[in-house]
Amino acid sequence: MSIATFADGLYATSFSTALRETTWIIPDLQAVHILAISVVIGSALITELRFAGILATDRPAPDVLRRYLPWMRAALWVLLATGILLVIAEPQRTLGNVVFWLKMVLVAGASLVTIQARKGLLRSSAGTNEAAAHETSRGLAFIMLLVWCAVIFCGRFIAYT
Amino acid sequence: MTLETTLQQINDLPLSAAIRENINAFPMLESLHVLAVAIVFGTILVVDLRLFGIASHRSSAQRLSAELLPYTWGAFVLAVITGVLMFITNPISYANNTEFLIKLILIAVAGLNMVWFHSTTYRRIAEWDEDMPPPTAARIAGAVSFVLWTAVIFLGRWIGFTLEFFFF
Repeated sequence: MSIATFADGLYATSFSTALRETTWIIPDLQAVHILAISVVIGSALITELRFAGILATDRPAPDVLRRYLPWMRAALWVLLATGILLVIAEPQRTLGNVVFWLKMVLVAGASLVTIQARKGLLRSSAGTNEAAAHETSRGLAFIMLLVWCAVIFCGRFIAYT
Repeated sequence: MTLETTLQQINDLPLSAAIRENINAFPMLESLHVLAVAIVFGTILVVDLRLFGIASHRSSAQRLSAELLPYTWGAFVLAVITGVLMFITNPISYANNTEFLIKLILIAVAGLNMVWFHSTTYRRIAEWDEDMPPPTAARIAGAVSFVLWTAVIFLGRWIGFTLEFFFF
């Protein structure tokens, strides 16, 4: 079964139709989606700038990460839930769109780096390996911020491609 | 000169026409606007939650606010610039859109809430800088700010679904 056939089938389901035809659902889902993006961006900005040695340098990096990671994780679940509902409501607009898939790859990559690759940093107690962690993650911190920006641009451009 | 003619003149500006005619300009402005809004709301949220009594990455409320405010303001300026550039492409439609007007009013109220807080409770921040929970007035200011900015984001998204296009 091709993606197009799947999208058509999904579009025809009564759940998809109900989501699409209840006028307030899509705008409000998108608003919640943007609120959750704000939580991710706010958390990412503070933690990545901390890793880059620009913000809150008097606080240990693991402590800063520990403070924002649960919020980021929760916001990513909200994004996934609202995102899935938006795809069900308008499957052809999203699943058949190359910008949508680019966004998915970027989100998956950024989430993986945030939640998995930095687990080691969380385990290290405050102060230890501080200098080493700082040195190795400065470039990565800027790349991560750029990736989150790209995710926002992709999100908006889905509506235009 | 009436409001209507002013809006029409804004609509007829060469810059307005240039944005309307470039197929990528509007989505670019929207993307930058969402990015700016996300930074504004994301950083304000951290301060609002701290004022409400939810710990941040540092104990001093004053240092937290001073540390994040430059990012909030920088992003707010970007949001205003991109917002104005979107507005001028279709000023009559925006001026007639209820969601857009309420959004502007709520942003102004959020500003007043900030001015009120900074001219009252914030002046005595040395007395409660590391207190948990913070004083009631600070908790109210944080909660009010959170509710207003959340509403601003909802209204902003609703504009895209309610804007009626008037072509002249």
